[in-house]
Amino acid sequence: MVDTAKNTKLFTSYGVSTSKTVTPEIAAKLISKAKRPLLMVGTLTLDPELLDRVVKISKTANIPIAATGSSLASLADKDVDAEYINAHMLGFYLTDPNWPGLDGNGNYDTVIVLGFKKFYINQVLSAAKNFSNLKTIAIERGYIQNATMSFGNLSKADHYAALDELIDLL
Amino acid sequence: MSKLTTGSFSIEDLESVQITINNIVGAAKEAAEEKAKELEKAGPTLFPGLESYRDDWNFKLLDRYEPVITPMCDQCCYCTYGPCDLSGNKRGACGIDMLGHNGREFFLRVITGTACHAAHGRHLLDHLIETFGEDLPLNLGQSNVLTPNITISTGLSPKNLGEIKPAMEFVEEQLTQLLATVHAGQESAEIDYDSKALFSGSLDHVGMEISDVVQVAAYDFPKADPEAPLIEIGMGTIDKSKPFLCVIGHNVGGVTYMMDYMEEHDLTDKMEIAGLCCTAIDLSRYKEADRRPPYAKVIGSMSKELKVIRSGMPDVIVVDEQCVRGDIVPEAQKLKIPVIASNAKIMYGLPNRTDANVDDVVEELKSGAIPGCVMLDYDKLGELCIRLTMEMGPIRDAEGITAIPTDEEFADWVAKCADCGACMIACPEELDIPEAMGFAKEGDFSYLEELHDQCIGCRRCEQVCKKEIPILNIIEKVAQKQIAEEKGWMRAGRGQVSDAEIRAEGLNLVMGTTPGIIAIIGCPNYAEGTKDVYYIAEEFLKRNFIVVTTGCGAMDIGMFKDEDGKTLYERFPGGFECGGLVNIGSCVSNAHITGAAEKVAAIFAQRTLEGNLAEISDYILNRVGACGLAWGAFSQKASSIGTGCNILGIPAVLGPHSSKYRRALIAKTYEEDKWKVYDARNGQEMPIPPAPEFLLTTAETWQEAIPMMAKACIRPSDNSMGRSIKLTHWMELHKKYLGKDPEDWWKFVRNEADLPLAKREALLKELESKHGWEIDWKKKKIISGPKIKFDVSAQPTNLKRLCKEA
Repeated sequence: MVDTAKNTKLFTSYGVSTSKTVTPEIAAKLISKAKRPLLMVGTLTLDPELLDRVVKISKTANIPIAATGSSLASLADKDVDAEYINAHMLGFYLTDPNWPGLDGNGNYDTVIVLGFKKFYINQVLSAAKNFSNLKTIAIERGYIQNATMSFGNLSKADHYAALDELIDLL
Repeated sequence: MSKLTTGSFSIEDLESVQITINNIVGAAKEAAEEKAKELEKAGPTLFPGLESYRDDWNFKLLDRYEPVITPMCDQCCYCTYGPCDLSGNKRGACGIDMLGHNGREFFLRVITGTACHAAHGRHLLDHLIETFGEDLPLNLGQSNVLTPNITISTGLSPKNLGEIKPAMEFVEEQLTQLLATVHAGQESAEIDYDSKALFSGSLDHVGMEISDVVQVAAYDFPKADPEAPLIEIGMGTIDKSKPFLCVIGHNVGGVTYMMDYMEEHDLTDKMEIAGLCCTAIDLSRYKEADRRPPYAKVIGSMSKELKVIRSGMPDVIVVDEQCVRGDIVPEAQKLKIPVIASNAKIMYGLPNRTDANVDDVVEELKSGAIPGCVMLDYDKLGELCIRLTMEMGPIRDAEGITAIPTDEEFADWVAKCADCGACMIACPEELDIPEAMGFAKEGDFSYLEELHDQCIGCRRCEQVCKKEIPILNIIEKVAQKQIAEEKGWMRAGRGQVSDAEIRAEGLNLVMGTTPGIIAIIGCPNYAEGTKDVYYIAEEFLKRNFIVVTTGCGAMDIGMFKDEDGKTLYERFPGGFECGGLVNIGSCVSNAHITGAAEKVAAIFAQRTLEGNLAEISDYILNRVGACGLAWGAFSQKASSIGTGCNILGIPAVLGPHSSKYRRALIAKTYEEDKWKVYDARNGQEMPIPPAPEFLLTTAETWQEAIPMMAKACIRPSDNSMGRSIKLTHWMELHKKYLGKDPEDWWKFVRNEADLPLAKREALLKELESKHGWEIDWKKKKIISGPKIKFDVSAQPTNLKRLCKEA
């Protein structure tokens, strides 16, 4: 079991509120229990190792993908439910209870984020953190302060292993 | 007293005594306001104040383009009541909530940027009036509309340096009012901070316009010249065998004296003068009319400052103002490079030698008795810097000063790395330095070399390295070949877009046959390196967009070549025309970009400029397909430039780092009520497509930014040919960079003629099958389906007061 609940050093956002660290086990449970989850995927998933795990999470847990940045290019032929949206725009829409969502069925209750630079996703999520009740789970390599829950800072190998554990538990 | 105006008068009884009054405080403005009142067609907002644009325009924009607040910090640390925890939009001890505080934070950045440009303008204006007199004409090229931003705000159309003074005073007065609102216990509503930020943005373009028009007029810069010469750019262009004077900053005033001194003393081929940031760009514009040496070179942006100093190449460094690193003196001192501060805005704690004899100062600096000095007398500055450079060059050569590590030092440092990962966590770009060091240990330096372009030279990695490895030097050591090959060309800033160019291109822009204007402007905080802007510019140029550029963006575009060894500046024309790459100039030249859009409204559509911001902005928002890109935006000036574009109805895409500005302006595309305007012919509401869907947002990658910008050039009043061309580009670019056609293309279709020609039949089928639209297949016409209608005569406006029955 990879210890994903340590090393929460940050150089991005600041202040008194920090996200709670999670293990792959708890993250998997939270994702499984979510009523209307969304997998928010950034451009770092162009890395084949990460892409493979994104596809597995989406298919295993049957979660639609919000493909931000230029990540849709790598997901277009993967037989997953993926739609492009700008991350900043998505971050804003997620704070609006009236947003119909990517499929027209309403806003989401849980957003799982993967494949972003820390500085960017921390800023995007800070709107949701301060102005909504949305639950956000960061399963990134870096600690994401503005998520509700997050892995700590990890090595690349540990990150892949943690994602594999999470996929097995979904 | 108040009846006096500027000028001079003599008292007859006092023979041979003349009293000259250069300026009566307030009188110039009063006279200007009187003059403005005489304008027959002036709009409602001459000499606007904090409230002037609020209800009539800003709130209309902010209703559709809602402020998206992304705080950087949970706390407010602004006054001694605090720090207060505002997380979850709580209110602090003073009563302000998280939204209000962050609105204030963004606003503070905008007014800071505005102040920088305005102060720069004031500095130049005063200096140039003192040097050339108030009557120096504003000869800016083939234009009658010389100062659109000044005219919009004040109603004035200055024709010489002296006539600019009331506009300068206006900006300064309003900036004082704006700054006052930041005080604890003042404005607390986020929406009002945003309205004030928009107002400040409009002032910023006045300040920038003043800065650039006075220097263009006085320093003989290119005047709306599409053929402005090509300038050498890049670290590799410096001839290391010559003494090298490195200039850094944004204010060209003092540095022109150095160039003059070089010329007067026949030193133009005996030393190098080159620089970083906008002073360098503006030096390359100096005396371009007769194109005589010295030819200043441009090294690059702020991200190169530390790299250049660490290279040990400069023999003397001169700084003026803005975008100058705070550690230049200690860094330069390590390599015996004297630093001269030439502007009171940055004095670095150095001894002030303004009143000293130049000979004495040269000796003091040469001997190392002082690390540098302040020199505010421009005549002395010119002599001091050139003489010192000529003397320091041989001294530093003789001492063999170099900062590049030897092979042995390099190997030792690489071996020291303990792979702790602290550098990667600290790096703003999140560069995988530990991985690159790991490969370097095994003899593969390619990973380290790749970091050179991505690294912004901030040295945060070095600050956290427990082994004290000079990581920046390590990266630069392996990138020596790359650095030596950094030799490109950029077109010298050509100045404003001429009236003739607007007349020639206005129809194409309004009709949409020129798909849009892409404005790529400065700052070097790119997430993936400088080549991003080159790729973006090339893509749009190949598609016949007009690409205008300034500042660091203009530099970085010129750093790369195609397979034939040509830069984009060599491949594309410099005119404001379809497929033109138009380098307007330095940061302050950004006023000419908004000025071009304003001129389309004024010259092409005959709209009144004077005191008429809302109507001009309304026209641009609905008709002129322009989109800005500030891909590496980091500075407060970038926030004010962008906000000035926003109030004028020009959307802008920023790079991912710019999310740290804490605020975006994004519309809800799914709220139909937001997408209605009035038809000015009869005041009826007319539905429009969600275009543009943002005024300010960030993109994650350059590949995402391209389709976003193409889409943002779509405007409600496009005719069918224009809409078809714009949809073609957007859909092709979306597919090319994001792998699929966009999902929402159909929202922009009003009739079959709007559809991209090459895919018309396939798209009609999709409209029928996927969206239930009725198609007459014999005539290949859309019978029913579109929510928006096309009417070539419609006059979309957001301003009810412009409607005929209003």
